[in-house]
Amino acid sequence: MKPLLRYITRRILFFIPLFIGVTALTFFMVNAIGDPVEMMLAEVPGVSQRQIEMVKKFFGTDLPIALRYFKWLANLLHLDLGVSIYKGKPVLNLLSTYGAQTLKIQLASLAISLILSIFLGVTAAVNQNTKKDTAIMSLSLLCRSIPGFWLGLILILVFSNWLMFFPSYGALSSKEYLFGSRFLDELWHMVLPTLMLIFFDLPAFTLLMRSSMVDVLREDYILAARASGLGKKTVIWKHALKNAIAPVIAYASYTFGVMIASSPVTETVFTWPGVGFLFVDAITNLDYPIIMGVILILVVSVFIASLVADILYVIIDPRIKLE
Amino acid sequence: MSETQSSEKLLKVENLVTYFYTSSGVVKAVDDITFDIKRGEVVGLVGESGSGKSVTCLSILRTVPRPGKIVGGKIIFKGSNLLEKSETEMQKIRGKEISMIFQNPAFSLNPICTIGEQLVEILRWHTGLNKEEAAERVIKLLKAVKLPDPERRFNQYPHELSGGMKQRVVIARALLCNPSLLLADEPTTNVDTTVQAQLLNLLNDLKRDFGMAILFVTHDMGIVAQLTNRVIVLYCGKVCEIADTETIFSEARHPYTKALISSVPRFDYKVSQRQKLKVIEGSIPDPISPPSGCRFHPRCSYADAVCKSKVPEPRELEPGHIVACHHAGEIKWSD
Amino acid sequence: MLIRRYDLKLKSPIKIRIFKENSFWDLAWKRFKRKKLGLIGLSLVLMITVMGIFAPLLALYDPNDQSALIYGPGSYAPPSLAHPLGTDRFGFDVYSRILYGARTALIVGILTAILSSIIGIMIGAIAGFLGGQTDEILMRFTEAFMLVPSFVVILFLVRIFNILSPKTFLGQIPLLNLWIIIFVLAVFDWPPIARVARSQFLKLKDQEFVEAARCLGASNWRIIFNHVLPNALPPIAVLSALEVGNAILSEAMISFLGFGDPHVISWGQMLTFAAQDMQVAPWVVIAPGVFIFLMILGSNLLAESLSDALNPRLKE
Repeated sequence: MKPLLRYITRRILFFIPLFIGVTALTFFMVNAIGDPVEMMLAEVPGVSQRQIEMVKKFFGTDLPIALRYFKWLANLLHLDLGVSIYKGKPVLNLLSTYGAQTLKIQLASLAISLILSIFLGVTAAVNQNTKKDTAIMSLSLLCRSIPGFWLGLILILVFSNWLMFFPSYGALSSKEYLFGSRFLDELWHMVLPTLMLIFFDLPAFTLLMRSSMVDVLREDYILAARASGLGKKTVIWKHALKNAIAPVIAYASYTFGVMIASSPVTETVFTWPGVGFLFVDAITNLDYPIIMGVILILVVSVFIASLVADILYVIIDPRIKLE
Repeated sequence: MSETQSSEKLLKVENLVTYFYTSSGVVKAVDDITFDIKRGEVVGLVGESGSGKSVTCLSILRTVPRPGKIVGGKIIFKGSNLLEKSETEMQKIRGKEISMIFQNPAFSLNPICTIGEQLVEILRWHTGLNKEEAAERVIKLLKAVKLPDPERRFNQYPHELSGGMKQRVVIARALLCNPSLLLADEPTTNVDTTVQAQLLNLLNDLKRDFGMAILFVTHDMGIVAQLTNRVIVLYCGKVCEIADTETIFSEARHPYTKALISSVPRFDYKVSQRQKLKVIEGSIPDPISPPSGCRFHPRCSYADAVCKSKVPEPRELEPGHIVACHHAGEIKWSD
Repeated sequence: MLIRRYDLKLKSPIKIRIFKENSFWDLAWKRFKRKKLGLIGLSLVLMITVMGIFAPLLALYDPNDQSALIYGPGSYAPPSLAHPLGTDRFGFDVYSRILYGARTALIVGILTAILSSIIGIMIGAIAGFLGGQTDEILMRFTEAFMLVPSFVVILFLVRIFNILSPKTFLGQIPLLNLWIIIFVLAVFDWPPIARVARSQFLKLKDQEFVEAARCLGASNWRIIFNHVLPNALPPIAVLSALEVGNAILSEAMISFLGFGDPHVISWGQMLTFAAQDMQVAPWVVIAPGVFIFLMILGSNLLAESLSDALNPRLKE
């Protein structure tokens, strides 16, 4: 346990300056170019200068930028991320509600993609250069080339507009739940966006699994295992897969960490109330509390994901040690 | 061959043909070879890289990797043809009746399993032993291969062992179920020379204790002299010569065999006798389009028109001495 | 292909033929031709290039021509002889806009690829060649860049620059948004190229011909440009080909979300409106997407076969 804790502490220590650097930079950039309060109130007719000053004072935009940043950092320590200038709600609340929605589809897609990719990748590697392999490889390459967001639109076109199987927007029906169950209704809305995300993730995982598996299958110890009489299934699924899975797991962890990256597009296509959607809104309006909150999550989740990936590598492969 | 004579022979390989169907062409790795191995015998399989030695071993076990395929011939082990057996039946033979040890010990052990886990798994796969009994037997075997501190090594991973220790584990793995035939594919090539000597002694002792036959693949004539009873010389997928070890070294009939033996550096010559190292002119032929006739003819100093056009069939010159050369027995060696 | 190289001591031009018979490049081209996929990729990219270059000739209407509203079938018209791909909500001819959109796509793709390659090669070369501390620092920097999920940050930066630049002198430049997008994309896509460049340089700097050149008195820069770079280029070329497709996709996504350049015609931007009009005019969604797909597919296939052609790998 001890070396693990030391390793994690060291990583966190290295991370803190990076964290401060990135958040400070973002903060200054957003605030240097304009005052969101002014932007927001510029469109509202009949607002007096004094009222603008009052709102600015409330949101704290009358203070100099550096001071504002430190205030934000200080608030961070007791988990106060500020209040959204446009929506008027606390950022933490917004992030958790919207974040939950993003997590729903991203986790579902990740899990399904991972499991499917293991089957597809192993099958392709075991049958290398046969028709099965070529089919899987070509499909994966093809899917990688299709612009994901366009596919989302086509999915809506086909399944929502023409076939009317699935809803085309939102996470929940506004009037009646599907079959009266809220759970089923949520699942029903999740289908199309998750499908689109699987389209992003599955090809990458499959190709990685395949190439890792191909390398492992070439190794002598696999031949030795077969020469010792072990059955084909045992050799492939127990010995080969255990050796080949490490990069895939690491990549899955990384994908999880950067899930925010694929969310703006997906959530805009399906009008899904997730963090990406929130973010696009926020940068349009320069709603900096939300922007800061999202960047914060981004940086922290990337850090955690890479840390988890490194630790997983150590767990899976006894040859690798923590440095 | 009468019944009693064939029952002495543990393994009979007849006209084995194994090709590799690559995108650059068909590699004729093993092209019609015939030999046999008696119970408890140590037979050396000698040849240059690419002569088909390893592929022969893999063919016997029927674990030839893609794109290779056994195209013809028979492999008769203990009376039945292995090439006609199903995959399930073969799994009962691999690791149990016929075992193999590989060239590079570092790569033939699964890096993410402990030594104990790997060996116990194989033992339990073939026998019905439970975990404790299997573990006991594995440790006994690790002691037999003279692995120092076997109980501790049992729980260690391959990367924690030295090359020599790994190879001992590999040998132990091969002997788990007391096989009658051990296929050793150049097991001492990738270890230090001191370790090499230890391993060869170990194999000698184990042969005495376990009584298995060994097919020892090597390109090192020194090891052949030390270890083997009989020698099979391969060249470019075909048999050149088969004879007892003594006969091979004293009365080799095939020009290739003679050249192999002559190319071993000798330390017993007096200073006046010492000459330049003898080399075999030319290089290994292309296995996709080998030379016509006798495959060795481009590099043979005794070759003539017949050698170029006709493939020499193996002939039994004397009992137990088989040569595949048109001019076997007629050649007077020049040195 | 002939290049002129100046011998260091003699100061006279020595002509060297690169594409010799059975030279590396020759064999690579032969391998490339064998793979049908590579040719398909190349032809896709060429087709779209031709579309873009000759857009004014091939287009049936001016892309901003709204005459369909008055004289033609109006907005949301299905494909017909007059309008092969139909019209969109503003009465624009979809086919003509696609052609002009090809220009934007190509500009973004190619320029981003070139820019990110230059940055990547420079950083990778310096890191690989100088080694030691510089290498360590540069590599940490590169890794940090790679970890960051770029799209979110790109959106953010594009937005910032969009607001900022009109206020400064930069606001005078036409198509500023487009250049901003190209610049930001390149700034985030150089790490993989830097990594490859560095490993190539590490491998090559210890080789003998570099030692030989040094003995002749060549400076470091000369060595990098004349000797090491030509040998290091193949894997970098593969990444650049991929980058073209990536950049086009990124630009399409940025425009789709509404942060693109409003002065140019972009396939992504066409999809923004198309998405909203899907119920009424489904054909408007299909065309731009298909072309984005073809462009990306083309560059991916090109990259795959370039990689196979330049790195003969045993597949068996």
